[in-house]
Amino acid sequence: MQLLTERNIAILAVGAFGIFSVGVFCTTVLPRFVDRELMDPKPNMRPYTEQEARGRKVYLAEGCVYCHTQQIRHLKSDQKRYGWRLVDAPPSKGWEYAYDNPHFIGTKRTGPDLGRVGGKYSSEWHWSHFKNPRDLGEKFRNLPESKMQQASIMPSYAYLSDEQIKDLTAYIQTLGRNVNWRKDKDGQLLNDYEE
Amino acid sequence: MNVTKLKENRAAYLFLTTGCVCLLIGMGMGLFVALKFLFPLLGEYPLFSFGRIRQAHTNLVMFAFLLQVDIGIMLYIIPRLLHTKLFSEKLGVATWAVYNVAVGAGVIRILMGINQGIEYAEIAPPFNYMIVLAWVMLLVNIMATILRRTVRSFYVSVWYVVGALLWTAVVYITGSILTQYTTGLNQANLSWFYVHNAVGLVFTPCGLAAAYYLIPKVLNTPIYSHKLSLIGFWVIAFTYCWTGAHHMIHGPNSYWLETVAILFSWSLIIPVMAVVTNFLGTYATAPRATRFKTAESKLLFTGTIYYLLTCLQGPFQAIRTVNTVVSKTDWVVAHAHMALLGAFGLIAMAGAYYIIPRIVKRPLYSPRLANIHFWMTFVGLLTFMFPMYVSGPMQGLAWLNIERTFLEILAEQRWVWMIRMHSGALILLAQTLFFYNLWETLYGKSYFMKPIEEKVA
Repeated sequence: MQLLTERNIAILAVGAFGIFSVGVFCTTVLPRFVDRELMDPKPNMRPYTEQEARGRKVYLAEGCVYCHTQQIRHLKSDQKRYGWRLVDAPPSKGWEYAYDNPHFIGTKRTGPDLGRVGGKYSSEWHWSHFKNPRDLGEKFRNLPESKMQQASIMPSYAYLSDEQIKDLTAYIQTLGRNVNWRKDKDGQLLNDYEE
Repeated sequence: MNVTKLKENRAAYLFLTTGCVCLLIGMGMGLFVALKFLFPLLGEYPLFSFGRIRQAHTNLVMFAFLLQVDIGIMLYIIPRLLHTKLFSEKLGVATWAVYNVAVGAGVIRILMGINQGIEYAEIAPPFNYMIVLAWVMLLVNIMATILRRTVRSFYVSVWYVVGALLWTAVVYITGSILTQYTTGLNQANLSWFYVHNAVGLVFTPCGLAAAYYLIPKVLNTPIYSHKLSLIGFWVIAFTYCWTGAHHMIHGPNSYWLETVAILFSWSLIIPVMAVVTNFLGTYATAPRATRFKTAESKLLFTGTIYYLLTCLQGPFQAIRTVNTVVSKTDWVVAHAHMALLGAFGLIAMAGAYYIIPRIVKRPLYSPRLANIHFWMTFVGLLTFMFPMYVSGPMQGLAWLNIERTFLEILAEQRWVWMIRMHSGALILLAQTLFFYNLWETLYGKSYFMKPIEEKVA
C-alpha cells in the first residue's frame, strides 16, 4: 500500500499542514471570538500606571513567573490558602489579565501563588522581604525563633535599586485587586490601595 | 576554509558538533539551577539570578542542543533517504551561522534581563526573527533537496521532516512573535499552544524522523509496519495541536476549551502507541544477539520507552482530578525532563553517535566509553525523575490540606532537591564522557585509524 502522500511532496505538505491548521484555528483563533466576554477588560478596570508598568518590567526581567503563578484556580484549597483572614480568595477570571502583556499566569509553584497578593502585606513588608527573603517579619512575629523563618529559598533581590523595588512593590500591590474581595471584621469590603 | 568547495555533509557536521558542545553548557546551567534550590544565596549576582539562569537552561538545552542536533540529523538523513546530495551546503552553513548567532545572543540577553516572558520563547527581538529566518533557510534547503531526489517515494522520516519544517514555522511564529501582539488570557492561550507544541510538533517529529531512520539502521532490520507509520504520522498531525489549554486546568480559561484539550490529550495515545509499537516491533524482529549491543541501540530503546511513558503521563495529568494534585508541583519538572531529555535527548545522542563517525569516515573512538556514557545517563535520569514523581504528588496533596503552611511543605521538599542535584551532576558527568568520546573521534588518535565504509541507504 502506498499513498499519494508518499510520492507527491505538494500533497504531503498541503495535507500535513491542512489537518494541522484545523486544530490551530480552533484552539488559538476561535477562543478569541467565542470567549470575548472572558478576555476583554471590564469597564471598571484601569490600565497599569507608569510606575506599575516599570514594576512589571522588573518582574519580567527577573523571571519571577518561573516560581510564582498568578492564578487562583477553581479549587477550594487554592481559594482558602490564598485567601485573607478567613475570607476566601475568589478564583481568577480571564478578564482580570486583560492589560497584562506578557501575562504572568505561570505553571510552576516553587513559591506561593501571587494571584491575589495585592494589599495583603504592607509595602514595608515587601521592601524588607525583597532585600532579604529569609526575613519574614510579621508573618512569624509570634515565633521569631522558628526554623521556618529561614526556610524560604527565594533569591535575594538586594541587587535591585531602591527605585526598582518600589516599582516592583507597586505592581505586586495591584495583583488581584480588580475584584474587591477582602472584608474587614464587620464584613465591610476593603479597598485600601496604598498610594 | 575554502567556502567555494564545501565538503559534503559540512552543514550537518557543524550542527551536530555545535549541538553537543551546547549540551554541556545547557546542562551546566541546569546543575546551577538545581544548586540554587539548595543554596539560594549561591552566585548572588543579577546575571546569575535564579529566574534568568532557569531561562538560559531551558533555551540552551532546547534550542542550542536538541533542536540543533535534530537539524544536523535531518541534514544528514534527508539526502541519504532520497539518494541525492543536499541542495546547498553553503546555505546549510549559513543557516548554522544565523541560527547560532541568534540563539547565543538571545541567551546572553536573557541573562542580562531582556526577555519576552513567554515560556520557551524568551529570546527577544531581533534574535527570534533571526531564528525564523534560519528556519526558512533550512526549509528551502530541505524542500529543494526533496525536489531533486532520484527516488520516487518518501520514507517515513521524510514525512516527519516535512511536517516538522511546516509545523515548527507556525508554532514558533505564534509563540514567539504573535504573542507579542496579544494580551492577557488570549496571549496565555497562544503561549500554551506554543509551549505544548514546541515539544509535540517540533521535537516530536524531529526526534521520530531520526528514530525511524536510526532504529532500522542500527539494528539492521526493516521497520516493523508501514501501516502503523502511516497511522502514527497522520493522527499526530491532526490531534497534537489541540491540547495547549490543558496547561491551565481549573484556571481562568473557559471550560469548553479545557475539555477539548483534555479529550485531545487522550486521543494522543493513538499515534504514540502506533509509533512505539512500530519501534518495539522492529526491536522484537531484530536478531537477538545484536539487539542491545551498541550504545546507539540502547539509547534509542530507552528513548522509545521514555517516549511511551511521558506520553501516557500527559493524558493522565490532563484529567481534572489528577491535575488537582500534580499540577504546578515538581512532578511537572520531571515530566518535562522525561520528554525532552529522556525521550528526544537520548534519540539525538544516538544520532550524534551514529552520524558523526560516518561524516568524518572514522570509527567512534571508544564504543565502550559510549556504553558507560549510556549507563551513567540512564541511572542519572532514573534517580533524577523518579524522586520527583514521588515528591510531586506529596507536595500536591499537602497543598490541598490548608492546615499546612506553604513554607512547611517547601521545607519538606529539600531531600528531593538534594537527590536531584546529585543525579543531575551524574548526568552532566556522563555528558562530558560523551563529549570526550566525540572529541577523540574527531581530533584524537583514531584520526589515523582505518576509514569505515558507509553502506548506501
